[in-house]
Amino acid sequence: MPVLTAREVVKTFQEGREEVHVLRGVSLDLHPGEVVALEGPSGSGKTTLLSILGCILTATRGEVTVDGVRIDSARPERLPAVRRKSIGFVFQQFNLFPALTAVENVEYALNVKGIRGPEARKEADALIDAVGLSDRRDFLPRDLSGGQKQRIAIARALCNSPAVLLADEPTANLDSQVGSQVLELFRGLARRQNRALLIVTHDPRVRAVCDRVLHIADGKLLPESRIAA
Amino acid sequence: MVDLALKTLLHDRTRFAITVAGVAFAVLLVLFQVGLFLGLLDNASVTIEHIDADLWVTSKNTPNVDFSHAFPESRVERVRSIPGIERADNLIVSFLNIDLPSGAQEGIIAYALEDFSRWGIPWGRWEGELSDLRRGDYLFLDESATKRFGPFEVGQYREVNRERLRIIGRTREAKSFTTTPMAFMDFRLAQRLNGQTLRGNTTYILVKLAPGADANAVTDEIRRRLPYNDVHTRSAWASKSRSYWVTNTGLGFNLFITVFLGCLVGIVVVAQTLYTSTMEHLKEFGTVKAIGGTNRDIYAILTRQAGVSALIGYVLGAIPALLIRPVVAGAGLKLILQPSFMAAVLVGTLVFCVAASLLSFTKVARIDPGLVFRG
Repeated sequence: MPVLTAREVVKTFQEGREEVHVLRGVSLDLHPGEVVALEGPSGSGKTTLLSILGCILTATRGEVTVDGVRIDSARPERLPAVRRKSIGFVFQQFNLFPALTAVENVEYALNVKGIRGPEARKEADALIDAVGLSDRRDFLPRDLSGGQKQRIAIARALCNSPAVLLADEPTANLDSQVGSQVLELFRGLARRQNRALLIVTHDPRVRAVCDRVLHIADGKLLPESRIAA
Repeated sequence: MVDLALKTLLHDRTRFAITVAGVAFAVLLVLFQVGLFLGLLDNASVTIEHIDADLWVTSKNTPNVDFSHAFPESRVERVRSIPGIERADNLIVSFLNIDLPSGAQEGIIAYALEDFSRWGIPWGRWEGELSDLRRGDYLFLDESATKRFGPFEVGQYREVNRERLRIIGRTREAKSFTTTPMAFMDFRLAQRLNGQTLRGNTTYILVKLAPGADANAVTDEIRRRLPYNDVHTRSAWASKSRSYWVTNTGLGFNLFITVFLGCLVGIVVVAQTLYTSTMEHLKEFGTVKAIGGTNRDIYAILTRQAGVSALIGYVLGAIPALLIRPVVAGAGLKLILQPSFMAAVLVGTLVFCVAASLLSFTKVARIDPGLVFRG
């Protein structure tokens, strides 16, 4: 049973008088525990698709269902609730809060998702521990390396056990060794927790750790390649 | 609960210091200017507040206690005969000229009664025997006169309206709004010194009501019997005297401009720094939205930041205002900072700072969470 489905998703933006068709009927499924890469050249619609699957944007046409909830384009005010419950993001630029320590970054995300007090602090500590940064829990992001920041971002994405993890170029700002370690950690955690993981990437190393690779070009998915897990 | 608002606010200490300094400056300006103004206004009605009279009978259209006009002193008899009045006495308030040892001539404002002990003036501490005022050409002079007239001692003589009077006492805290030093003397002496205007005349009738008397009924009866005079309750007369200076001089407008500018400085500083801060933290707010936060969560962050800036700015503005009071008093001025006024300024500061943060709300409402994907 897929935790995320997209059917004939179309996204059109208005630029002046012109309509720009960014996605032209994209369909895909993501299953629990599955790690999928999404590759494509710049401007192919990767980030737009990620935004729609992550309930940040709504589709112009088509159907998206996340963790059993059908996303209603006409009710955008309901999207934050879906993001809180079912989606975890990891960004290329980490996007940590610079004023918060590592553990506070994770704890704040838990707070936003409705978990507060000692329970939030306990879960944040456990997540920091899971990404191997217990000794850096009270460091501010400025005092962490790129790899450490991305690990904190992964811990934050895992808050409240979302069914779907979406990562946008998670290794782009990391050197190859650290990138591989972070990727391996992310994949391992997603697998162990049975989360579906979709990684938008240009990085060939990502392809190597994924179950499937999706290619997108001109707003359409190409026939997919399947890699043995 | 992680306090993202406070931690982000304190993270950029320079910006925070600028915000707080702007608020503190505005608070200090408002407290100081309005406090001084209240002190001045207090002088405008200080005698009315201290004289133990329930009603004041004045000549028609007298604008304030200092600018009195004469009317026949015999009218006091018509007042005394009204039921419900315990006592009524004539009071003269009149500007007189005083010759100084230097040869200069200055003005004093004289308060003249037949029996001061019945009406509670002068108030506070004084030197000398009040009852002696009736025994000759004597006066009490307030020590605030030292500033304008130079030092004086009890027992010295001064010429007032060309008559030689002996200073037999000195009062404290008896200051008028016009800063003209106050003097206290016998009613008949004041009439004699300004005979052209005051012979057979008074400028006010002070009325003390009998216990349980109906103030409205007595007022109506005085009005009926003295149709060419006005009658005021003590509070109404004090208010009229104060509002004269507010509305008939530039003071009220000046105060309004000062308070307006103070508030404007505070609002602009807070709005500008919060807005700049919001612009610089757009990606973080986008992240808040991406992890499931709503506009309301971000509004709460901005409101809290504005509230904290307001509170700390208020404290830093209020402390110097309180500390400067003795310095102001040393200069002969009053800085009145009543708790109710301080509380009103605190509430105003909070409201204005939160209002200033509304400017950022419009920006936040339009944040595209998709910006978190941009490098």
